[in-house]
Amino acid sequence: MDPKNSRFSTQISHLALDIGGTLIKLVYFSPNGDNCEDGSIVVGNGCSVVQGRLCFAKFETRKIDDCLDFIRFNILQHSGVQHTNGTARDKLSVKATGGGAFKFADLFKEKLGIVFDKEDEMHSLVCGVNFLLKTVPREAFTYLDGQKEFVQIDHNDLYPYLLVNIGSGVSMIKVDGDGKYERISGTSLGGGTFLGLGKLLTKCKSFDELLELSHQGNNRVIDMLVGDIYGGTDYSKIGLSSTAIASSFGKAISDGKELEDYQPEDVARSLLRMISNNIGQIAYLNALRFGLKRIFFGGFFIRGLEYTMDTISVAVHFWSRGEAKAMFLRHEGFLGALGAFTSYKDQSHSTELKPHHHTVERAVLKCSDDDSFRHIPVTANVNDGEAIECSINLV
Amino acid sequence: MAGREDDEHDPPILDDKTEAEAKSSERDMAPPGPGTSIHRSGSRPQLDLSKAEIQGNFEERDPTILLPNQSDDISHLALDIGGSLIKLLYFSRHEDYSNDDDKGKKTIKERLGLTNGKLRSYPVLGGRLHFVKFETHKINECLDFIHSKQLHRRDPYPWSSKTLPLGTGVIKVTGGGAYKFADLFKERLGVSIEKEDEMHCLVSGANFLLKAIRHEAYTHMEGEKEFVQIEPNDLYPYLLVNVGSGVSIIKVDGEGKFERVSGTNVGGGTYWGLGRLLTKCKSFDELLELSQKGDNSTIDMLVGDIYGGMDYSKIGLSASTIASSFGKAISENKELEDYRPQDISLSLLRMISYNIGQISYLNALRFGLKRIFFGGFFIRGHAYTMDTISFAVHFWSKGDMQAMFLRHEGFLGAMGAFMSYEKHGLDDLMSHQLVERFPMGAPYTGGNIHGPPLGDLNEKISWMEKFVRRGTEITAPVPMTPSKTTGLGGFDVPSSRGSALRSDASALNVGVLHLVPTLEVFPLLADPKMYEPNTIDLSDQGEREYWLKVLSEHLPDLVDTAVASEGGTEDAKRRGDAFARAFSAHLARLMEEPAAYGKLGLANLLELREECLREFQFVDAYRSIKQRENEASLAVLPDLLEELDSMSEEARLLTLIEGVLAANIFDWGSRACVDLYHKGTIIEIYRMSRNKMQRPWRVDDFDAFKERMLGSGGKQPHRHKRALLFVDNSGADVILGMLPLAREFLRRGTEVVLVANSLPALNDVTAMELPDIVAGAAKHCDILRRAAEMGGLLVDAMVNPGDWSKNDSTSAPLMVVENGCGSPCIDLRQVSSELAAAAKDADLVVLEGMGRALHTNFNAQFKCEALKLAMVKNQRLAEKLINGNIYDSVCRYEPPSLSQM
Repeated sequence: MDPKNSRFSTQISHLALDIGGTLIKLVYFSPNGDNCEDGSIVVGNGCSVVQGRLCFAKFETRKIDDCLDFIRFNILQHSGVQHTNGTARDKLSVKATGGGAFKFADLFKEKLGIVFDKEDEMHSLVCGVNFLLKTVPREAFTYLDGQKEFVQIDHNDLYPYLLVNIGSGVSMIKVDGDGKYERISGTSLGGGTFLGLGKLLTKCKSFDELLELSHQGNNRVIDMLVGDIYGGTDYSKIGLSSTAIASSFGKAISDGKELEDYQPEDVARSLLRMISNNIGQIAYLNALRFGLKRIFFGGFFIRGLEYTMDTISVAVHFWSRGEAKAMFLRHEGFLGALGAFTSYKDQSHSTELKPHHHTVERAVLKCSDDDSFRHIPVTANVNDGEAIECSINLV
Repeated sequence: MAGREDDEHDPPILDDKTEAEAKSSERDMAPPGPGTSIHRSGSRPQLDLSKAEIQGNFEERDPTILLPNQSDDISHLALDIGGSLIKLLYFSRHEDYSNDDDKGKKTIKERLGLTNGKLRSYPVLGGRLHFVKFETHKINECLDFIHSKQLHRRDPYPWSSKTLPLGTGVIKVTGGGAYKFADLFKERLGVSIEKEDEMHCLVSGANFLLKAIRHEAYTHMEGEKEFVQIEPNDLYPYLLVNVGSGVSIIKVDGEGKFERVSGTNVGGGTYWGLGRLLTKCKSFDELLELSQKGDNSTIDMLVGDIYGGMDYSKIGLSASTIASSFGKAISENKELEDYRPQDISLSLLRMISYNIGQISYLNALRFGLKRIFFGGFFIRGHAYTMDTISFAVHFWSKGDMQAMFLRHEGFLGAMGAFMSYEKHGLDDLMSHQLVERFPMGAPYTGGNIHGPPLGDLNEKISWMEKFVRRGTEITAPVPMTPSKTTGLGGFDVPSSRGSALRSDASALNVGVLHLVPTLEVFPLLADPKMYEPNTIDLSDQGEREYWLKVLSEHLPDLVDTAVASEGGTEDAKRRGDAFARAFSAHLARLMEEPAAYGKLGLANLLELREECLREFQFVDAYRSIKQRENEASLAVLPDLLEELDSMSEEARLLTLIEGVLAANIFDWGSRACVDLYHKGTIIEIYRMSRNKMQRPWRVDDFDAFKERMLGSGGKQPHRHKRALLFVDNSGADVILGMLPLAREFLRRGTEVVLVANSLPALNDVTAMELPDIVAGAAKHCDILRRAAEMGGLLVDAMVNPGDWSKNDSTSAPLMVVENGCGSPCIDLRQVSSELAAAAKDADLVVLEGMGRALHTNFNAQFKCEALKLAMVKNQRLAEKLINGNIYDSVCRYEPPSLSQM
């Protein structure tokens, strides 16, 4: 094996995409020292081990051209496998998952010369989570009353758990082991609903803007609370406090106010609570059904946003009477992409794709919060996922 | 109701009742028995103390005193004041059939072991439950209504007739508005409000309705409603999901045993709140209406949108499954204005309905419950909402669970509040003691109508006159503008047939519940739980359309007859016209929404017509025709009896059965027969018809019956102890057909009970008319005379009713009992207590005529022998039922059913 070749192809091919309805998530491997000739490749026993980082980036699906540019300039070009016309020299096979892997396959082939090797969405998701929970310490945490608390999970006691992936919609997956999982439920009230309704109601342009707004809002302006119905008193007989939401947006019925009369902040807040609450509740009910104590929430809707996590946690805590815990993952936005990335190993016998094959060899050395993407000229949301330092084996 | 607006300023004074009294006695027209006049006096009501008696146990302290002749409505009421609607439920006391003063019948009751004391000991109070809706923001209409009917002045206990002094009344109220409007009630009506717990009311209301009303629940899949009969013993546990502004999910384990196990804040308020912000709709109904025309795929992200039009079949998601509600609003550069409000409304509706269905399913699963009942204002009989929820439950449970809805869903809370009175008198109510009737105004008081029902007859007639006639079908009633004089609200009336899933079309009608404690299940039914009276299933579209058409075509004749029966006066013409419009409206409503009146068989449809006639005060449309035919038939009876007596026993039996079948041709309910009447005299038609009776008949069990009667091989069969003869039409049918048959039984020493209608229906003979007919026949026949005397039918005869048993063993009495109904058909689950008592010793049931032996009960199984006799006077029925033709005969003889033995 020519180590030089391997190295080049490593840089390009260690890329996986998760193309969802709303966002495109990218995971790619960036060797340490990047342009340095030395150091990062350790060759031994027929394998080269490359030290580097797993990097994460995301784009809005509707701005897919940004994503194409990013791949073209920062990954393909960087690795020197590019024609002058911007496409890859040879057909490159890249792992991709999400509905967009089907929808945009032709586009990627045409524009970048990349052929998608499609991975099942759910499979990728579960692989991603299993990978993270097993290999990255301090990956999972609970969030309650503003307190983030990391949870150490015994690798041997990981299964079964419930995985709730909140993308545009929500999938709920019961995971029993590596490759052993089942989609048991889901709901159409997800991140897409938040953003879609939010856009219609507030004229926000982006998800972040909407989240930002919700942070400053007060949902009591527009939600009907138990206290609103029972004249400020609790309906304690059935365990409802006066501040519990009786009906989301219920006050909008009778106020005689138009949409313009409400603060966008308050509307965004109500919306966020409605959706978070609902997801928390349906997740709890499904966990209960299968006797699962741990529920991991992931997907771009969470985004490490405290308020969202808090609402979901409260919902799970409330309905389970403290029995079940909502947990979150630091890389929650990239589960599918990570899963697709780790799936390269599954095809290690295939000779054609030989240079692309790698396995994640060992645990991540450390997680860094530093921004390792300074060199990226194209705008991308890369701040959400922390890069994971790791090393990979080149077969 | 002139001057009603003054009430707002004047405290209610007693004199106000003059008007109210006049009104209320008219609107609840109890069919008057002979000799009883309708109370229409405009004078102030006075207690009628005649025939007062102690009710219940005589040893009891302070026993309640019953005033049977107190004509006033004794009422009490309960309210559920919600954010948008006020639901009012009130009880009015009525004696439906008060014919106890008929001396002859009293004797029969004694004969049958029914003492007055026993009759009075029913735990359930007879009367009517009325369901009314008002819009909350028009609460004054509600207050006016209560005031006009003086509902608030009643003692909350139904069997008390006390009128309360001002300022002492208490009304049970539930719902969020109970506190909010307490002061208003005090100020306007002088009554205090007693707030009842909402959830408790909801549950007890649902429990009551599910147990008391046979087909209260229905499923709703793909636009089709199917009524479900739930055994009262098999009701619990169930999940009750109340979708109001928010959603409460309640697990119900029994009477008063329930727990709120879950809920969601995404409910009707969310739909309406978000919908209002997004579409600028002015009302909930408008928003719902919009959703009918929507296409949610323009705004929801579907699985196909993500997967490029493909299904994600691996996990069972089709391309049209919603992946993300409102998810498309993300990726397109569109503003709110660029979306159609219809699409937004539908997206919202689906999002919320699915979510409710899913969370309900998960909770049902948690507790292993198979039945989920959905109610609350969000449902409102709205087809799309119900379909979506049903779909979600079906989808998630893989068909294992059923989403069900309640016909009275808007009234659960009010019903429960009513039940929270210490003595509401409904505790022991059984479903067979309830009869639901749909008075005029009811077609328009379905799920989405507000405002009091029409008051008196005059108002009803003028309301009907406002209908716009379009062809034969009444389609576009004019909504009443709130009138200064009545203060009654506008009625939202279905205005067109429109699309299949119109929001208001599927709102079901809620009728007045008549509580008739004297009704019982016919004791000779082999299996009352499996019994289905109707032979023809009107849920079959072809059948339904056919019979609706038949009724519609028969209507002009019926109106002519009805008007003529009252001398063709202007008043009668006006009422006749109004009746025609009203009944046509019922028929039109049924064409539009077959489930509008609940589970409906042909029997119910025919009864609806009779009820409608009575409502417009046509007490007995065929009175003069019946009289004429009775006289004509009685005149030829002696000849017939002589002819019969000259025959051998065997020939006579055949001739008798032929005679019953032949005489059954005299039927005003049959179009074909009405045409025949113009072609000959009664005895001519009778003889011609009898001579045509060529055996074998289409259904011919005569030989088996003959063997049972006469024996074979020299063996003498034991005679029947008592035969119940369910008679059909007046005139030749009963006099030349059934009476001679009765006489044959009597001659053999079998007691005979003639079972006839309590109230007139078409030209059917009634129990009231039979004693006169029997007396007429007895003049020519000793057997009949003696039996009638023994049965106490000949009241002027000087015979001691107690003496009969001392007579020789072969003489037996002839009796008459009423069946408890006023329809050409009979539902044997609901018969009079007299009939039930008479049935105890009976070992033979003879059902005669199309209505009672074919339309209903053709397939009924009895514990005793049964003989079903009828001539089929309808080609379609002949084809369907017996694979035969019009004028074919049915003689079905069935030994006792073994299923219960």
